[in-house]
Amino acid sequence: MTDIKMKPSAEKRSIPLFIDCDTGVDDAMALLCAAKMKSFDLIGVAAVAGNVALDKTLPNTLNVLALAGRTDVPVYKGAYKPLVRPLVSAPHVHGLNGLGGVELDSSPRKEEPEPAWDALYNAAMEHEDLVLVAVGPLTNVAKAFIKYRELPKRLSKIVIMGGAAVGGNTTPCTEFNIVTDPEAADVVFNSGVPIVMCGLDVTLKAYLTGTELDELAKLGTPQAIFSYQSQQNALRYEMSKGLPGICLHDPAALFFAEDETMFTARKAGIRVETRGSITSGKTVTDLDSDKKMSYREHRVVLDINRDAFRERIFTLMRKYSET
Amino acid sequence: MVETRSNIQTFYASTSQPLPIILDGDPGHDDAIAWVLARSRPELRILCVTSVCGNQTIEKTTYNAGRIMALLGMDVPLAMGLPKPLFRDPIIADTVHGKTGLDGPELPEPMKSPVACSAAELMAQCLKESDEPVVIVPTGPLTNVGALLLLYPELKSKIRHISLMGGGIARGNWTPAAEFNILVDPDAAKIVFESGIPITMAGLDVTERALVYPEDFERIRRVGNHVASVVAGWLEFFYHFHQSLGYPGAPVHDAVAVTALIRPEILTGEDLYVQVETKGVFCRGATVGDLNKVSGKPPNAYCLKDINRNAFVDLLVEAVTYYG
Repeated sequence: MTDIKMKPSAEKRSIPLFIDCDTGVDDAMALLCAAKMKSFDLIGVAAVAGNVALDKTLPNTLNVLALAGRTDVPVYKGAYKPLVRPLVSAPHVHGLNGLGGVELDSSPRKEEPEPAWDALYNAAMEHEDLVLVAVGPLTNVAKAFIKYRELPKRLSKIVIMGGAAVGGNTTPCTEFNIVTDPEAADVVFNSGVPIVMCGLDVTLKAYLTGTELDELAKLGTPQAIFSYQSQQNALRYEMSKGLPGICLHDPAALFFAEDETMFTARKAGIRVETRGSITSGKTVTDLDSDKKMSYREHRVVLDINRDAFRERIFTLMRKYSET
Repeated sequence: MVETRSNIQTFYASTSQPLPIILDGDPGHDDAIAWVLARSRPELRILCVTSVCGNQTIEKTTYNAGRIMALLGMDVPLAMGLPKPLFRDPIIADTVHGKTGLDGPELPEPMKSPVACSAAELMAQCLKESDEPVVIVPTGPLTNVGALLLLYPELKSKIRHISLMGGGIARGNWTPAAEFNILVDPDAAKIVFESGIPITMAGLDVTERALVYPEDFERIRRVGNHVASVVAGWLEFFYHFHQSLGYPGAPVHDAVAVTALIRPEILTGEDLYVQVETKGVFCRGATVGDLNKVSGKPPNAYCLKDINRNAFVDLLVEAVTYYG
């Protein structure tokens, strides 16, 4: 802590960050991490229906931020259902309340009056260098693009957790966030804004083992204990699917936004299938095909240095014992 | 005999008899090389050849099939396939295979005309007459095989295995999500993949690794016989298109489907549940593989992933050596 080299000589301004999420156990981890990042100024968080219904993701978002000691961050209410489809949520992974059954104290703060899409637009108009990290279904972001046609020009950096160049976790070729609202996802990928797609290609490699999660609990803070407890159900679920641990999908997208150096990504065209019989929600990339798409400014994140990832999680979570 | 999908390696463990096969393709340079390979192997007995529309129109692929058979001295019946995919209009690949569908070296004229019956009928006749179950090797769109299964479902048990070139689990070529053969006739492909017949899928995952480099063309040419020089010429033509896309060699896709039958040990693969998308804005013709086992469905295809490239080239050199 006293290492002089760790302190920036001149105070570097934090970059304004807006998070859109469907909290969600891995969303909760992303919020706990974002709350402690010096490089970002968390200026707003929006909740969307996804892992569980909006009447859970909204209070979960408020309550996790309160747990993080960040009742200063405004929270916005987003869409209660996908653009044109009914909501199919994932309580088998995230628990009925979305937080693996852990009940958090209610935040003293309430959500703001304006809807998520207006808040995102206002944030983008106010901050030229706004970074959007969207880790749920892309309904709120799509609504913002549909409502404000100049928004794509103002939003130059969007990192999403969603999709997969290859494979799937909900159907054989689709990832949960995208298959939940494929139309919204295609609006976003077709908006002209370069999107970083942190999908299953990388997030299945961004995991903590059960042992590492135990170590996290040993930090002993309420935040660490919450992380441990809330993720037990998801850990069991993912281990039953043959995964080596609990995938921290959403923190991976957040970390990419902060520092790309622990990742490998490739430029590609990406569109979302919305009318397939078995492929609706598939993020179609042109990474390896002879035929390329006309717009190729997106990036597909493909690999991660897992040691660096785990270290970053622990570094940020340790900050909760420092105050 | 029970045959699990991935144990094609045991094809020959049990018998010294040649394996009866049917070649069904849309020649096409890589179809032609696949047939050169098949014809050269004593382990394989070719019962008949059927043409399919794909790389070029059915008239051209049938004519090319006849010319290849004349070149190789293949004296088996040839039947012309359907003039178009089962339920759709044709798509051709003349940018890849040229105006004739087999541009490049000069070829002899066909020795005889195609038989009067359709491809599906000829296949059915061969299946009925064969004492042993037969392996079908489709290297074009699956139109004829789909038609066979629609028309003669009772003959399924006579089909031992389908070793096909088509699809791709992790990539497409003609569209970002789909490989040409499956894209052209996804409905036929769906019928094949849902048939329950053991399938080996030589998709782009492996065939884009089955690269033959320009220095290998010379090695093949130096074998010195007529077939060798024709194959070298085909490779040169085929490479020309791929070179413009940045390939270091010519991916001889279709020969991998034959290689799976004779040299399975130079290939790796994985049993997967594979479905074919027939609709969609971007995904028509995609072969969706359940890599993360989320469907709960048992595998229906052995999907090839990698190939020992040097051994593959050696195999092609050995094949042309057979012709004198």
